[in-house]
Amino acid sequence: MKRRQFCFLLLLTLFLILPSAVFSADETLHSVWAVKDCKIVIQPGRVIEKGVIIIRNGLIEYAGPVVSIPADAEVIEGSGLTAYAGFIDAFGDSILKMPEEKRDPSKMYSGDFSEKERGIAPEIKAYDYANLTKAGISKFHKSGITAVLVIPSKGIFTGQASLFSLSQTGKEKAVILKDNLLGIGFSASSVTGYPDSLMGVIAFLKQEFADLAYYIMHTSRWENDMNGISRPEYKAEFEELLPFFTGKKQVVFLCRNQNDIIRAIKIGSEYKLKYLICDIGGEAFRVIPELKKSGVPVLLTLGFKSPSTSIYSQQGKDVRSEAERELYPSNAARLEEAGVKFAFSSYSTPEPDKFLGNIMIAVEKGLSTEKALRALTVDAAAVFGVDRALGTIEAGKIANVVLSVGDPLLKESKVKYVFADGIKFDMKEKKAEEGEKPTVNVSGKWEITTEGGMGMKFTLELTQEEATLSGKRITQFGQDEFTDGTVSGNEINLTITINAMGRTVDIYVSGTVEGDTISGTISFGAMGSAEFTGKRIP
Amino acid sequence: MKQKRFKYLLISILVLSVSAIAVAGKDEILLKNGNIITITGADIKGGDILIKGSKIEKIGKNIKAGPDALVIHLNGKWAMPGIIDSHSHIAVEGGVNETGNLMTAEVDVKDVLNSEDYNIFLALAGGVTTIHTMHGSANPIGGRGIVLKLRWGSTAPEMIFKGAPETVKWALGENPKQSSFSMGRGRYPKTRMGVEASIRAIFEEARDYMKAWDDYDKKKDNKVKPLPPKKDLRLEVIADVLRGKYLVRCHAYEAEEMLSIMKLCKEYGVKLAVFEHGLEGYRITNELIKYGVGVSTFADFWAYKWEAFKTMPHSAALMAKRGVLIALNSDDAERMRRLYLDAAKTIRFGGLSESEALKTITINPAKMLGVDKWVGTLEPGKDADIAIFNRHPLDPYTFCEMTMVDGKVFFDRAKYFEDRKKAEEIKKQKEEQKKAEDMKKKESERKPDENQKKPDPKSMETQAPKGGN
Repeated sequence: MKRRQFCFLLLLTLFLILPSAVFSADETLHSVWAVKDCKIVIQPGRVIEKGVIIIRNGLIEYAGPVVSIPADAEVIEGSGLTAYAGFIDAFGDSILKMPEEKRDPSKMYSGDFSEKERGIAPEIKAYDYANLTKAGISKFHKSGITAVLVIPSKGIFTGQASLFSLSQTGKEKAVILKDNLLGIGFSASSVTGYPDSLMGVIAFLKQEFADLAYYIMHTSRWENDMNGISRPEYKAEFEELLPFFTGKKQVVFLCRNQNDIIRAIKIGSEYKLKYLICDIGGEAFRVIPELKKSGVPVLLTLGFKSPSTSIYSQQGKDVRSEAERELYPSNAARLEEAGVKFAFSSYSTPEPDKFLGNIMIAVEKGLSTEKALRALTVDAAAVFGVDRALGTIEAGKIANVVLSVGDPLLKESKVKYVFADGIKFDMKEKKAEEGEKPTVNVSGKWEITTEGGMGMKFTLELTQEEATLSGKRITQFGQDEFTDGTVSGNEINLTITINAMGRTVDIYVSGTVEGDTISGTISFGAMGSAEFTGKRIP
Repeated sequence: MKQKRFKYLLISILVLSVSAIAVAGKDEILLKNGNIITITGADIKGGDILIKGSKIEKIGKNIKAGPDALVIHLNGKWAMPGIIDSHSHIAVEGGVNETGNLMTAEVDVKDVLNSEDYNIFLALAGGVTTIHTMHGSANPIGGRGIVLKLRWGSTAPEMIFKGAPETVKWALGENPKQSSFSMGRGRYPKTRMGVEASIRAIFEEARDYMKAWDDYDKKKDNKVKPLPPKKDLRLEVIADVLRGKYLVRCHAYEAEEMLSIMKLCKEYGVKLAVFEHGLEGYRITNELIKYGVGVSTFADFWAYKWEAFKTMPHSAALMAKRGVLIALNSDDAERMRRLYLDAAKTIRFGGLSESEALKTITINPAKMLGVDKWVGTLEPGKDADIAIFNRHPLDPYTFCEMTMVDGKVFFDRAKYFEDRKKAEEIKKQKEEQKKAEDMKKKESERKPDENQKKPDPKSMETQAPKGGN
């Protein structure tokens, strides 16, 4: 009983301080900032050893060697810090929460698959499904990333992208570009009707583009003279595709290997699309002459995995691992050498810190640091046509600025402050705050039951690495993953962000572990809290 | 940088064994003193083949080559035309069947080639130099196929056999009617007559489509320009089938359905080029000859499903003896490497002559694919696609030692084993180097290691009471 009371008190205090304690970044609502005496990387290759950055109302007002600091500015002592433009993740889907698809088995017999099930969903907008949580944003900030292009990646017409500034959870304000890019994938889903093969996908795209051309011709002829001509049928799908087909907006081909890149170039040039290539397979270096000839920018992923179609994957483990150690990480270096334009994508490395770590491996394999930085900033901004607003530390640009101890892309450097849209985030060392060493290992599955009116049941799957905790909550409705939980002594703390009826809710879980049982509190943000008990599933 | 280069070299050695071992800079090659199977006539014992560029220049005895020529001594080994497999599905990425629709003439294998399929190399190791890789047999009218030269190490467009006519795959019987499907959606047609009716239906559709375009073409210069018909990529191909633009390769087993489809094709003026499998073809040789269609079949592979029961290993020879154009195919990446042994079976079972047996994997499939102008025999002027065997290719103990495509060596058994040995040695060296480094590391770490170990039990002790509370 005593223990329970203690726990309750502990949880209460935890609950009270939670909102500020759980996140490693604190944001401050102040609109004018002056960072003085810092080293400024205006853009890769242009460095001011000691200068001042003035940020006002979300924009950079000044960045240069000397200026009188405005009276209304809050001053940040920047000596010992390096300022550089916030990194841009040019293609990611880690913050995208798409609704779980339910398969209707009867469709296997009827064959009545919807367009969406067949992977034809140009109407899906990343904007509608992007899940900007504080915890999620914070993860990017730790690696110095302040903008991310989010795009659905399943199917043939995968959906439309949005570019977000990682400044706030409100999408309305955070969005920089909406519906600016259409994804085109080559992977057919295996049991969902036409097309269900790669050759079918290519044929489908050709027919679709032929139909679009006809739609445009027919519509314009009818609009030109409505007399004597049947009017065209309205097609919502075509209306979504039109700006991308006519070259008003860009498309991005999701290429799983070198062959897909060739296919993309062929289709892109044949139909005169304005297109990008996302090198999911990491094989751009194998088709450099074709890429150079096309002049198409590439969004490089950093998974360094040899695709199964490649010759390296078919000759046994030795050849494969050798190629994955030596050849695939040198992808970026080879493209730099050849002068192919590229930006970086976190697509195959969902954790932002791994993404940056792998860029450093690419640097070890010969990519110049300057080019790596360019690819993460100016070049990425240029690919999406937002280089007037992002990518460098220059007056008039969006105040997405990172201040770190040490220069960017060094293993020992640490991000100290992040500005996104002029909002300041302090990156605190989390582990230093929480003293106690873990005395328990909670890795494994736990069956959790909440008490009281709601009486929910769910499974927690935990993975403990020293004092940090990650895992997922499994309910009958689906799974929600989390990272950045902590274990301190025999107590665990974690935050799970879920999507409930279109709203994102942060669930805080605090528990005390006793052998194979756990008890504690679950707080559903503004929706109240409940106590829970649980036991380990052997 | 140097180290990096070395590593690249390492990988390239590993891969070299499977990439083109092109004889660089040698425009002239003389294969000397071999037993040459020309296919066109009698074998030449102790003969030479002179290759200039990608073509065979001369075949005979005591041929003299220029001073710069590369001379390969065959020492009595057997040289034959590169083997041609007219029914294959290798080097295709992302599925060989588009099952999402009944009729899928719009899909094209050419769009989805993967030139790095390892099976290409394995095929070369069996003396195969040309293949026809194609859509599967899921649909009455499937997709278009492509003839490839196995120029291993080149890109897919570079492998395409220039000048080879385009082909389209059809299929009859159990596969398109999905008789072996225990689950999945029930699809029309479910009977053999349904399969044929579905082909007739799309022919009619294609005729309407052609007519719509003809009508439009007549009126398009009128004052009031009509709306053009919508472009339909599927019907475009079917229309081209009706116009005779494609070589039609029709998968079929039973005699009755072969007879029936030939009748339908006559009605629409379509010419079938080849029946694939055609296991019951021996029952209708007169009709096959009269129609003028080839059969690309198996040597002794049957009874794997109901429609494949009513045959025997003598079938291919029986058809060939009656004058039907017969080819033996693999339909399989593994069988592909030993087509020469399949050819030998036609002698064992059906009593074909050696020459007739070898034709079933050389000139006959070349004729079926419309590439016999360039390949299929060893003759001056033809492509230098040559397979070299240690014994007669129909000898049960034979194996392929070297394969050339367009006068370039793409498979060399001796060199392949040498490269493999080299790669293994390098791997061993590296492992030993790593071991030595690890040992060194361990030694240098040992002392601080021991120091660290001491406080360990203590910390365990301090933790123990806590956990037990």
